[in-house]
Amino acid sequence: MLDWAWIVDHLDDLAARTIQHLALAAIAVGVGFLISFAMALWAVRRRSVYVPISAIAGILYTVPSLALFAALVPITGLSILTAEVPLVLYTLLIFIRNIVAGFDAIPADVLESADGMGYGRDRRLWQVELPLAVPLVVAGIRLASVSTIGLVTISGIIGDRFGGLGFFIFEGYRHSFPTEIFAGALPTILLAVAVDVSLVAVQDRLTPWAQPVTAAGRVRPA
Amino acid sequence: MPTQPTRAATVEFRHVTKRYDPRATDTPGAVNDLSLAVPAGKICVLVGPSGCGKTTSLKMVNRLIEPTSGQILVDGVDIATREPTALRREIGYVIQQVGLFPHQTIGQNVATVPRLLGWPKSRLRERADELLALVGLDPAAYRDRYPSQLSGGERQRVGVARALAADPPIMLMDEPFGAVDPIVRERLQNEFLRLQEELAKTILFVTHDIDEAIKMGDLVAVMQVGGHLAQFGPPAEILASPASEFVARFVGADRGLKRLSLSRVGELQLQPAVMASVGDDSAEARKRALADPFPFLLLVDAERRPIGWFHQDSIPSNGKLEVSMAIPMSPLLNRRTTLKDALSLLLDADVQAGIVVDRRGAVLGLLTVDMIAERMRTTAGDGRFAPALEAAGESAPASPA
Repeated sequence: MLDWAWIVDHLDDLAARTIQHLALAAIAVGVGFLISFAMALWAVRRRSVYVPISAIAGILYTVPSLALFAALVPITGLSILTAEVPLVLYTLLIFIRNIVAGFDAIPADVLESADGMGYGRDRRLWQVELPLAVPLVVAGIRLASVSTIGLVTISGIIGDRFGGLGFFIFEGYRHSFPTEIFAGALPTILLAVAVDVSLVAVQDRLTPWAQPVTAAGRVRPA
Repeated sequence: MPTQPTRAATVEFRHVTKRYDPRATDTPGAVNDLSLAVPAGKICVLVGPSGCGKTTSLKMVNRLIEPTSGQILVDGVDIATREPTALRREIGYVIQQVGLFPHQTIGQNVATVPRLLGWPKSRLRERADELLALVGLDPAAYRDRYPSQLSGGERQRVGVARALAADPPIMLMDEPFGAVDPIVRERLQNEFLRLQEELAKTILFVTHDIDEAIKMGDLVAVMQVGGHLAQFGPPAEILASPASEFVARFVGADRGLKRLSLSRVGELQLQPAVMASVGDDSAEARKRALADPFPFLLLVDAERRPIGWFHQDSIPSNGKLEVSMAIPMSPLLNRRTTLKDALSLLLDADVQAGIVVDRRGAVLGLLTVDMIAERMRTTAGDGRFAPALEAAGESAPASPA
């Protein structure tokens, strides 16, 4: 079925495309997170802006990705912006909703006692609220990463220079060559799974307190 | 390390009003022209039904809520002139849900205010350990745990330790023992009262439970919906002479019984007991017992420690008194026993006289139900607001002594 010789011949290409795939996804997730974080903080402090912000992010999320990549070509040409702008836009809804939910999940009594003990506003944000929002924020990063890794393949529509592993999918499709489609699709899936699993590990490191109480090993014996 | 000098401050409310709705004065949590002064080192309990403004009043002291009008003075200084975060770091704050930081260890939680105040790191850890020990938690076992690994009662103790960390002169406690079961609550209350004997902080304490208010308060402020102060005074005064129908109803129809919990056996003049020792001559003992209006003779050992009772009619007319002839003992009381506990024990006993003993167990005298009733009558208030049911309970004719 599979043309193993082709795969062996193209290992270098596969490696380069995998790296490009990760880079495109990482830029999108990073930039998307920064924009969303600012938006979410604004929404947390001024509740009235949350509805319009999440509505706009929601509308952007519904635009078909294929169409969005194609529509940007006349505006941004074949630059990296054409690939990244849609990828970033698709992360916004996921991030904003998760970050706001992360802040909303902080128990009111914790905030009240923080205020009562004399935390200032900024100190409370960085030392109390943010650490406690971490579980849902990381959940957002996981969702956004997996979805972006999938979407990066579609950016191949704007040309050979983009698409990461999606390049092979488009090429394979054009040449009716299943091996090449497979060589693009399977590593994409593996990449998404690997990133997700590593983020779970990161979350566990960041939130030792949120682990099950049964983690008795962390309690120093009396 | 030497214990820090205890400090306390006075807290005074001057015509403090808080309105949430400018048109209505009775919105829940509103406070209306509240004036009261808490002396340094005393526990003042704010008690009342929900919506009476007690929590609002408390939160105005650390400026979590700003009054609409009026002033709150701490040691004579208007707190409105203070920077809120600096003010709060000088006021301990304990709330019902405790509000420990889930992402910090117990040690870090306790050291919160000292950390905000910028104490050096080594001192933070030391201080956290001191406070954990103070509230009865072994620092080595607890300091590195997270709040989710503690029981409700343990979390409450940590909450108190955290509030005390920077040795604040004032503590605000909002239903601090409200979320734990009654047995744990009672223990925490007792421990806290013992702690307060040493610390002598000025404490404002909010509860909706009148029994807790009576138990914890040096002073009790009864509040009613609309944020009106219905009565302010020592618990005994509020129980003995409620200032209004509302206060009488709020403290309950059993306020006579509640007053019993404020008096202790040591405050009463005890009745001397007719006593005899094991091996004494029966005839002589019988003669003495019959001469006394109280129909029982108390058998004691050589150290005057009680063994049991003889009814005056069943003392043998000759021979020696023996342990086996005595009927079982009635409850042993000491001077610290509350009259409420004493009464409860007496009602259950075969011989309705409590034997009051000293620290070594030797008999001091007897306490009877009639003596308790007499005590209540002489300290009763004017009974202006005593509903019929209550009046019946309080003025019930005493059975002849």
